[in-house]
Amino acid sequence: MNGSPNSGSGCNFAPWSDPKEKPLIRFDAVTKKFGDFVAIDNLNLKIYEREFFALLGPSGCGKTTLMRMLAGFEQPTMGSIMMRQQHLTDIPPHRRPVNMMFQSYALFPHMSVEQNIAFGLKQEKRPKAEIKDRVEEMIALVQLQAFAKRKPHQLSGGQRQRVALARSLAKKPKLLLLDEPLGALDRKLREQTQFELMTIQEKLGTTFVIVTHDQEEAMTVASRIALMDQGKLVQVSTPREIYETPNSRYVADFLGDVNIIGGHILGPDDKEDDIVQLAWHEDYAPLRIRLPQPVSFPEKGTERWVAVRPEKVRITKEYPTDTHNILKGKVLDIAYTGNISTYHVETEDGQIIKSQEANLEHLHRRAITWDDEVYVHWRAGGCVLLER
Amino acid sequence: MSELSNITEGAGLMTNGQPDSPKTQRRMSLPKNWGRCLLILVPYIWLLVLFLVPFIIVVKISLSDTAIAMPPYVPTFAWSEGWTGFWNMISGWDLENFTWLMEDDLYWKSYLSSLEIAVVSSLLALLIGYPIAYSMARAPSEWRPTLLMLIILPFWTSFLIRVYAWIGILKKEGLLNMALMHLGIIDDPLTILNTDIAVYIGIVYSYLPFMVLPLYSSLEKMDDSLLEAATDLGCSPFKAFWLITVPLSMPGILAGCFLVFIPAVGEFVIPDLLGGSNTLMIGKTLWVEFFSNRDWPVASAVAVILLILLVVPIVLFQRQQEKQQEKGA
Ligand SMILES: Nc1ncnc2c1ncn2[C@@H]1O[C@H](COP(=O)(O)OP(=O)(O)OP(=O)(O)O)[C@@H](O)[C@H]1O
Ligand SMILES: [Mg+2]
Repeated sequence: MNGSPNSGSGCNFAPWSDPKEKPLIRFDAVTKKFGDFVAIDNLNLKIYEREFFALLGPSGCGKTTLMRMLAGFEQPTMGSIMMRQQHLTDIPPHRRPVNMMFQSYALFPHMSVEQNIAFGLKQEKRPKAEIKDRVEEMIALVQLQAFAKRKPHQLSGGQRQRVALARSLAKKPKLLLLDEPLGALDRKLREQTQFELMTIQEKLGTTFVIVTHDQEEAMTVASRIALMDQGKLVQVSTPREIYETPNSRYVADFLGDVNIIGGHILGPDDKEDDIVQLAWHEDYAPLRIRLPQPVSFPEKGTERWVAVRPEKVRITKEYPTDTHNILKGKVLDIAYTGNISTYHVETEDGQIIKSQEANLEHLHRRAITWDDEVYVHWRAGGCVLLER
Repeated sequence: MSELSNITEGAGLMTNGQPDSPKTQRRMSLPKNWGRCLLILVPYIWLLVLFLVPFIIVVKISLSDTAIAMPPYVPTFAWSEGWTGFWNMISGWDLENFTWLMEDDLYWKSYLSSLEIAVVSSLLALLIGYPIAYSMARAPSEWRPTLLMLIILPFWTSFLIRVYAWIGILKKEGLLNMALMHLGIIDDPLTILNTDIAVYIGIVYSYLPFMVLPLYSSLEKMDDSLLEAATDLGCSPFKAFWLITVPLSMPGILAGCFLVFIPAVGEFVIPDLLGGSNTLMIGKTLWVEFFSNRDWPVASAVAVILLILLVVPIVLFQRQQEKQQEKGA
């Protein structure tokens, strides 16, 4: 899942867990209001150098506003944004070591690809030869050598996007903001560019903040993902953590598919002492959930939810053994998406549980079909207990 | 007459912004879509009848000689004489009037002074019109229709009356002098009326909407995020204005300048009403030649040369419009 050079298991890039590490960017109690409307609500956030930080959230939750505050196009109503020791709020946008790649690309229509890329360098009054070299380097990086003399309107959407990327990279900014940078690309080009972005990041050591609506993209490229809702950060974690151990039903539900069942804490399991039992229905056995170490048991009787990803729910016709949670039900629907099938199983009390299986066999040899009586089951370690 | 139709032609190009490219015209010639052929034919017939035919008549008169007759020139064509009459008319033509225009320095001085007044007025109109158009384009979008209306509002009163009104403002005991003296800025009234300054004021005032409208339309189209991108790349807001806003509004600047320059060159009413006896403009010279001297052939020659002078900027204007078209902006 994690293809990022930062977040791969082989490399221990985790400055956020090191208390000695100083963040590059610090939001301190930042609030942004448009009139009475609160777009960013008392937000605290640290972004570290060389991070690939992804912002996720529903439309209108304030992602672009957050970016625009970093770039300097909006001022926070309250709170402060620091870059290292500097108050970013005091610096006008054209003096910030921050570059933004606009979602609309905002390429200058009267300038060629080269001129667009050179624009930022010319503003710094660098020597001509240096600018020329740097522009060539950037053009090579985004593979637009053949198009250097063209104007933006003579380029395809994907090529324009790469020009915008090259332009924002040319100045080697400390911080690069990408607002839905790959939104207009087809799947192939998108994956290719994601990979390019990660390579660029590795080469230049820039810190990236990227807004995306595509979870898979966020999971692929990000070192950390921040999930926003109505101007607040709901969870900020690595892709793995945010997917495997979401801190709320909202997060679990936003990222990927999930089954959620509510209940009350019953107490520890009699056999394994890091497993908690959750009473969810008076007629059925309690669900069993393995708690993360170190174990801290919630009080008996408190309301909790269990979240389990469909791919961790197995489905069988025979009564399973060697598992913790078993529910009996009937297959209501099967969604076939090529590589996997999602079974929608209705349990006896009306709960719908989704189970995903890889399509190992040909479709017509599938053992389970509509209206079959089946068991869905998952292990205690495959699910998480949620407080809210 | 002749320049007037040119102006409307130019204005038409400006407002619809989509002159028929050669390509579509070629397609027009296919007999299949005769309906569209007809549609495109109507404006051509209009131009032919109301522009080309009168112009040919003017050229014809310019090649004739003055006479005390009705009409006041010879030779004329008599239907009764048939082909021989036609041949007589053509053989009577010569370029005498045009050589006369070159010999008498009044004419080329008038042309030069007209061009100078038109150029300076265009630049003044640009200087005044740009901030107006810019602030209009930046105004909250719910205000913009009202602001546009205000720019067009003067057209609701007669052009002649508006120019006349300036006499009341600019004359010695006029509003402007009274106000300035009242405020103690000057002690003696300024002589503005019947000078070139009054002509500049009149032209700039009258043609300002033609400057503001194309400027506004090109500035309004501009994407604000381009300026944000420029500042993001380290460009100060002032420099961003020069590097982004001005080049991108260049089509509007050129269109506005041509739309002021072209009618200003041949302007007659304004120099006649506001200008002094030594304000030389070709429109005035033409009027004197035509009505006071009743020298139709020389007047026609003046008009023909004026048209030839104006063809250059008009062609440039169209070139520029076409280029804009190609860019697909
Ligand atoms: N200039 C503004 N004036 C008033 N309200 C604004 C302004 N800019 C943004 N907002 C509001 O602030 C909220 C957050 O906007 P923002 O553009 O940050 O959303 P977003 O998370 O980027 O959404 P999307 O995913 O759709 O791009 C929205 O409800 C929006 O209507
Ligand atoms: Mg947005």
